[in-house]
Amino acid sequence: MVGANILLVDTCKTYFENAAKAFSEIGIQATLRFAKNDIEAWSMLKGDDKLLPIPKIMLIDINAEGLNGIDLINKIRLDFELKSILIFVVSDVNNSENKRAALNLNIAGYMHKPFEKGEMIDFFSTLNDYWNSIEFSS
Amino acid sequence: MIQKLVNILLVEDDEVDVMNVKRAFSKNNIKNELFVAGNGVEALDMLRTSIVPLPRIIILDINMPKMNGIEFLKNLRDDENLKNISVFVMTTSNEDSDKINAYNLNVAGYILKPLSFEKFITSVATLKNFWSLCEM
Amino acid sequence: MEESAKSCQEELSALKKEYEDFVYIVSHDIKTPMRAISNITTWIEDDLGPDAGADILNNFTLLKNRVGRLENMLNALLELSRVNRTEMELYEVNFPKMVEECIASLDNGVNVKFHVNYNLSNENCITLGKKLNKVVFNLLDNAVRFHDKEIKNVFVDVRENESDYEIKISDDGPGIAEEVRNKIFAIFYTVNSKDVLDSTGAGLTISSKIVEMVGGKIYYTPGINNGSIFQINWPKIISLKN
Repeated sequence: MVGANILLVDTCKTYFENAAKAFSEIGIQATLRFAKNDIEAWSMLKGDDKLLPIPKIMLIDINAEGLNGIDLINKIRLDFELKSILIFVVSDVNNSENKRAALNLNIAGYMHKPFEKGEMIDFFSTLNDYWNSIEFSS
Repeated sequence: MIQKLVNILLVEDDEVDVMNVKRAFSKNNIKNELFVAGNGVEALDMLRTSIVPLPRIIILDINMPKMNGIEFLKNLRDDENLKNISVFVMTTSNEDSDKINAYNLNVAGYILKPLSFEKFITSVATLKNFWSLCEM
Repeated sequence: MEESAKSCQEELSALKKEYEDFVYIVSHDIKTPMRAISNITTWIEDDLGPDAGADILNNFTLLKNRVGRLENMLNALLELSRVNRTEMELYEVNFPKMVEECIASLDNGVNVKFHVNYNLSNENCITLGKKLNKVVFNLLDNAVRFHDKEIKNVFVDVRENESDYEIKISDDGPGIAEEVRNKIFAIFYTVNSKDVLDSTGAGLTISSKIVEMVGGKIYYTPGINNGSIFQINWPKIISLKN
């Protein structure tokens, strides 16, 4: 995880800041990056603001207003260079249509979005343990 | 998704490795029903004929006779009714080509089988915790 | 003439294929039964329970330890064979950050004082980051692992030269006896018996293969108070030989 980028796509900058705090508190060695919508995310994956190394993990809030998460995942899956990214979808609302669409795009997990600090620490600790237990291609 | 007791299909040809998963599940108090297929052909058959009921996830070995894990994944992703199933690779293969192929076919994780059983119990515990975050 | 060049080429690719297949067999087909031995041992131990008797339990521990060694050796062989095939991305590395991360990931860094010194006009460089990281980590790990004193001092010195970086990792540990210095880069060689200090003896072999691949140099010199100094010259511009 050292030197790796993890891209968080969420309309709320404060949420990113809280997540980044949780990352550092847990000691996650990857760098959390932020995109406020699908367009900005795409530019960080493929466009002028391309992140290097390319993130192997993304966290996306697909039901946030003003963010077309499904469209973004779809584009990622169709792109040769990006299609292998491990995508974790978080959401705090029930939208079964989006959920089905996301699962059909082979996301790695559809999860309830944590907000409160302790809840966030638990959530990212569990995810971090999982990320550390799996292999990534080099 | 573990709460809803997802059915788990283990695709694995080695008898000891099957026993290993069963034992690690029981050590971790995982109560989900476990189905076993010895290769990709058998696994596809069990999924298509609904021997493994919904909802379901797959734990997949790579090196198997008849149809190996990567070939199985290709078939799975090409099948409209099966393509959305979450797949976790569990293998000895540390080859980069296997990892790349598996992630290109969008597995949710690629786990190396550790040598020691104690470590394997820990891997399975981590997997269980991750599953408990996920909704199906 | 052209014919023979072509057949040479064919022979070379056949050999390469054979080699890759061999590596794959080692990695998978041998590991599966090896893992079965280890697992079944644990099950029997588990099923016998704690009353099995000290001798039996001790033998189980030995058996698992030796299978563990076998696995470490296989993994080291695999890693060595993959040095110029995997983790070949060039990216920007920040020297102080990289060293700091290596130190943080040591699992044996208690009672160790790290003295780090940089002489760099630019802290960042674009290089094979994972490879550099591996070499620095291996040398730091060795410096700590084989140290014989209660309080351990480990020194890291990075200097930027015109065409390379000179990285010196030294310690005030026991050093390496003169008569075995030419063996330390050989695979599976360990200065101590593996029963005294369980290590695979592959770290320096892998490190030196990496350094050789990037066109750099690695060498050992005895340090002050008999400690060790490992010096790496890591080129700024990496030209990969095939």
